Amino acid sequence: MLNQILPLLIFGALLLAVVGGVRRIRLWRNGRPSDVPIMAGLAALPRRYLVDLHHVVARDKYISNTHVATGGGFVAAAILAILVHGLQLNSQILAWALLAATTSMFVGALFVAKRRVQPPERLSKGPWMRLPKSLLAFSIGFFLVTLPVTGLVPAVLGAWVLALILSVLIIWGLGEMFFGMTWGGPMKHAFAGALHLAFHRRAERFNGGRSTGLKPLHFDDQQQPLGVEKPSEFTWNQLLGFDACVQCGRCEAMCPAFAAGQPLNPKKLIQDMVVGLAGGSDAAYAGSPYPGKPLGEHQGGPFASIIAREGQGLLDAETLWSCTTCRACVEECPMMIEHVDAIVDMRRHLTLERGQTPNKGAEVIDNLIATDNPNGFNPASRMNWAADLALPVLSDVKRTDVLLWMGDGAFDMRNQRSLRALVKILRAAKVDFAVLGNEERDSGDVARRLGDEATFQSLAKRNITTLAQYSFRSIVTCDPHSFHVLKNEYSDFGGQYVVYHHSTFINHLRQTGKLNFAPYKGGSVTYHDPCYLGRYNGEYDAPRDLLAAAGIQVIEMERSGFRSRCCGGGGGAPITDIPGKQRIPDMRMEDIKQTGAEIVAVGCPQCTAMLEGVVDPRPEVLDIAEIIAKQLVEAEEAA
Amino acid sequence: MSQFDAIFQPIQIGKLTIRNRVVSTAHAEVHATDGGMTTDRYVKYYEEKAKGGCGLCICGGSSVVSIDSPQAWWSSVNLSTDRIIPHFQNLADAVHKHGGKIMIQITHMGRRSRWDGYNWTTLVSPSGIREPVHRSTCKTIEPEEIQRIIGDYAKAARRAKEGGLDGVELSAVHQHLIDQFWSPRVNKRTDEWGGSYENRMRFGMEVLKAVREEVGPDFVVGMRICGDEFHPDGLTHEDMKQIAAYYDATGLVDFFGVIGSGCDTHNTLANVIPNMSYPPEPFLHLAAGIKEVVKAPVIHAQNIKDPNQAQRILEGGYVDMVGMTRAHIADPHIIAKIKMGQIDQIRQCVGANYCIDRQYQGLDVLCIQNAATSREYMGLPHIIGKTEGVVRKVVVVGGGPAGMEAARVAAERGHQVVLFEGQAQLGGQITLAAKAPQRDQMAGITRWYQLELARLNVDLRLNTYADEAQIKAEQPDIVILAVGGKPFIEQVPEWGADEGLIVSSWDILDGKVEPGKNVLVYDTICEFTGMSTADYLSEKGSKVELVTDDVKPGAAIGGTTFPTYYRSLYPKEVIMTSDLALHKVYREDEQLVAVLENEYTGQLEERVVDQVVVENGVRPDEALYYALKQQSLNKGQIDIEALYAIQPQPCLSESTAGDDFLLFRIGDCTAPRNTHAAIYDALRLCKDF
Repeated sequence: MLNQILPLLIFGALLLAVVGGVRRIRLWRNGRPSDVPIMAGLAALPRRYLVDLHHVVARDKYISNTHVATGGGFVAAAILAILVHGLQLNSQILAWALLAATTSMFVGALFVAKRRVQPPERLSKGPWMRLPKSLLAFSIGFFLVTLPVTGLVPAVLGAWVLALILSVLIIWGLGEMFFGMTWGGPMKHAFAGALHLAFHRRAERFNGGRSTGLKPLHFDDQQQPLGVEKPSEFTWNQLLGFDACVQCGRCEAMCPAFAAGQPLNPKKLIQDMVVGLAGGSDAAYAGSPYPGKPLGEHQGGPFASIIAREGQGLLDAETLWSCTTCRACVEECPMMIEHVDAIVDMRRHLTLERGQTPNKGAEVIDNLIATDNPNGFNPASRMNWAADLALPVLSDVKRTDVLLWMGDGAFDMRNQRSLRALVKILRAAKVDFAVLGNEERDSGDVARRLGDEATFQSLAKRNITTLAQYSFRSIVTCDPHSFHVLKNEYSDFGGQYVVYHHSTFINHLRQTGKLNFAPYKGGSVTYHDPCYLGRYNGEYDAPRDLLAAAGIQVIEMERSGFRSRCCGGGGGAPITDIPGKQRIPDMRMEDIKQTGAEIVAVGCPQCTAMLEGVVDPRPEVLDIAEIIAKQLVEAEEAA
Repeated sequence: MSQFDAIFQPIQIGKLTIRNRVVSTAHAEVHATDGGMTTDRYVKYYEEKAKGGCGLCICGGSSVVSIDSPQAWWSSVNLSTDRIIPHFQNLADAVHKHGGKIMIQITHMGRRSRWDGYNWTTLVSPSGIREPVHRSTCKTIEPEEIQRIIGDYAKAARRAKEGGLDGVELSAVHQHLIDQFWSPRVNKRTDEWGGSYENRMRFGMEVLKAVREEVGPDFVVGMRICGDEFHPDGLTHEDMKQIAAYYDATGLVDFFGVIGSGCDTHNTLANVIPNMSYPPEPFLHLAAGIKEVVKAPVIHAQNIKDPNQAQRILEGGYVDMVGMTRAHIADPHIIAKIKMGQIDQIRQCVGANYCIDRQYQGLDVLCIQNAATSREYMGLPHIIGKTEGVVRKVVVVGGGPAGMEAARVAAERGHQVVLFEGQAQLGGQITLAAKAPQRDQMAGITRWYQLELARLNVDLRLNTYADEAQIKAEQPDIVILAVGGKPFIEQVPEWGADEGLIVSSWDILDGKVEPGKNVLVYDTICEFTGMSTADYLSEKGSKVELVTDDVKPGAAIGGTTFPTYYRSLYPKEVIMTSDLALHKVYREDEQLVAVLENEYTGQLEERVVDQVVVENGVRPDEALYYALKQQSLNKGQIDIEALYAIQPQPCLSESTAGDDFLLFRIGDCTAPRNTHAAIYDALRLCKDF
């Protein structure tokens, strides 16, 4: 009797899955076009899944092993079940293989179930609590119906009562695993996730690559909206990416804004985008809400404004402005979803179309437009900090080995100390360097992250024009934001440079014997990784190597390296200044204090400012250049 | 915008870029040696300011260009010989190394000097009129001498340039030779060098032209002038505007330094370096008036001590640069501290004028509160590093200047410091000094220590007169006694201190004793306390006679401070009597009779008063010292060879384990001296703990 039912059930479920899949694909296709290569993407899928994605998942050994057993077991079981029970291929080998696959899946499902006994906060509940049972139903059901095929048990067991029970298990399992996959159940992640990997908008991220620069708006393209107002204004593969979310909440656990009680939760944001692309409200969402924002009050659809002009939309603007663009969420996401891109896309709309950059945002943008620096300083005073240093200026010398990019920290009395320390080091190493002087402009980082792509591009293009007049081999800067923008974001506008963060460059000077250090006698040191140096550019080692070479043993924070917690200073967050329950830099300073270190070494003017803004008593905040400059043993000058 | 952005705008003077708007203006350092050479001490003193971030140092107040302007009296810099050039190179290198710029003031002092020594110089002046402050007579200068001196200026400027300095400032202020020619009060000539405006201007103009011709257009040449001589027959503000504009119009002057007041009388001299009795920047309006009529940048110094004040003045555009000279003497790292956001750590000048009052006596310039200033060459540090040796428990007893400095320095060294003070607040005798009218800013010394001791987590035990047991209960490794002393009014039994016939100046200033109606203040010391007591009493309405057996009340107070006391005492009809010693005090009915004896005739006279206040200095409080002395490892002895050589005390190498401890006593509990001595004792002793 089962022999008659099973093909029906399997192919029925598959048919429904296909229908669901087509419907889902149509939802994604509401998005704007994206020129990803379809076939190449599909061809790259297995490797992207098995290597790149697994690399992220494997940070949590429990769940990666569980997933290998469950997911691997399911994929094998599904294919084998279609062959053995759907097509009724009478093969002992296939039947035994199916038994093995369902066993693997069963064991995995037990671990899934175990984790759901007391699930961590970050996991979504709701339908996800059902999933382990569905996995068990599928694996048990197909295990049992396969036993007769192997001849291990007599076929008489196919008595109809038992058959009925088994059918229920099979229907349940098939329903969740096949039907649910394309009709919005938890298994959607497998379907959407696979396609998302194939059609990812940042293919450079695979094979160990890195792609963190924002994608430019093309102002000459009349079809392109200025940012994203409605879900349908995302590209189709962005929408697809949102659908890949497994609601594991690893992003939520790492998000500094969420921890600070600001109204942002990256997981919820992605789920809201899912609600937006399919239409509906967030009432069914079963995870942690945005702090201070109850569920069920927001709704949207593919063609509705995400941020409502009146009343409630899908999101409140302050959710978007809470983000520091630290990329902790992106770094953690096992599905490699691009949260920051989405946030900046929506910010672009708010800033460019509505002029609704909150708090000091508009003032900063006005300053950037009028004075080429965010604080509105007289642009002719950019070199004041170095009035007594007689720095070579490129407009005089025309060519140099190293262009020292000062950044807007040149206007800031605190950062001037770091810059002066850096100059001291460069001089000690006899580096041939020069500055742009008053010709330097803000890199455009803040404007871009506040959504003002126009001002960013204006600054970028003018900087590129200035740079084109001179000859230099590389750019060195102590500002990771300038570093990132010059290195990764100017290339879209024709600016290709060799750019080094000062820690990398100084470390190189050290390695080539150009610097000598005295024995370190200062206090104990921990190191804070700046987001735009670490997660954005993968530089974790040079600052540590450099400090070690200077005789400093860095006491690591629990959250360091790629898991470093943001200082709160990125993405214009201090400018838009969305209130929370606590301040991000205070939390970071707590991380620092837990190490017991007397000094926190930093490599970013923004981090320095944020961390120094924490009230005393607290460890001293020193730029890595300041620490190194103090350790220099300068060769005796000729008399 | 940053809170102090106006301070940190670089400025162009001539061809020179200066990194900020703060100048250490020319003052006489009294540091030059070897016949006026800028040797080690001189170089290190200016290097420290450059290291601390000062934009421009103009060194060498009254550095002489000619052999007949004597330099030895005030150990000033001598530019009358090529021998100076290599010394200038050392000086320039030291300042330039830290990004600072350095110029020197050059001058011929004319009649403003002394003739009775060294070369027994015949001083020169336009009309041979005597100068009262230095009691100097002089000859009427002859045209040949005028031409020689003009040439000397040019040669001196060349030496400055060849020595690598960034510029020269011609002094036409403080009644030097150039402004002696300017001022009709002193210049009574009828030849081409006097009489008409142009003639009076001629000498300065010829000097300016000769100097400019010698050094060329790229070397900075500035002029320091006064904004108003404040003499009825002197140059007024309008005159000075005319003069400044006249010289400015030549285009030969790169900057003007402007200060208020002439200075050839005791009273006007006090204006030039305003002490704490003056308001902030009292003469800014004069400099601002000059700025209105000249194109060259204007520098102004006089009582600008605070970064907020400097910012306000610069932001207001009154002048282009501010002189913060005494501010740098008190804290040569003032600019660095502003930049570091360490405003509270700035040791701010309080206007005690210890520096300048020493200078006028021909003594080296020192700071009342910062004992490291101008002792950099000896190795005394402005920034005290942490010890690399053992961390010790240091108990300091007494929170006056010696104790506060000892606690600060020991804490900066990283030691664990307890400070006992019997009173409810820190300060010791500084607290008393600050009670007098016009002297309240003395408390600024204590204020800085309070902030520093709090920053350094010194364990403060106020209201605690520590005894032997309490000190030992702390298990100290080092005990520093800085308990000061008591007013010494028992010295002469006939004064009747034991019978309660007299009270001490401390009791009055402290408010312990109500002022009488009719008071005799007897002051044997003739320093601040007696004058302050008289001033305090008269301020409260007492009729006061201030009597001393010395030559003049306030005789031991320096030239910029006794005039401000006199300005306060005379209007309140305080009678100041000298040459009378207090012989005896006795009671007659409700009244007291003070018997005074003339120092020179022995003749007795009486005063019937209702209160006799005696200021007879301090008697050290030695009881605690002798209680601890024998128990200490070093028997309380300080190795003075090591101390004077700024070397560590040899006994510091001994183990202070268990109950063993080292004992040192410093400040007035050793012998009564002054605030500077107390702080210097503490710094040089404790810097090696």
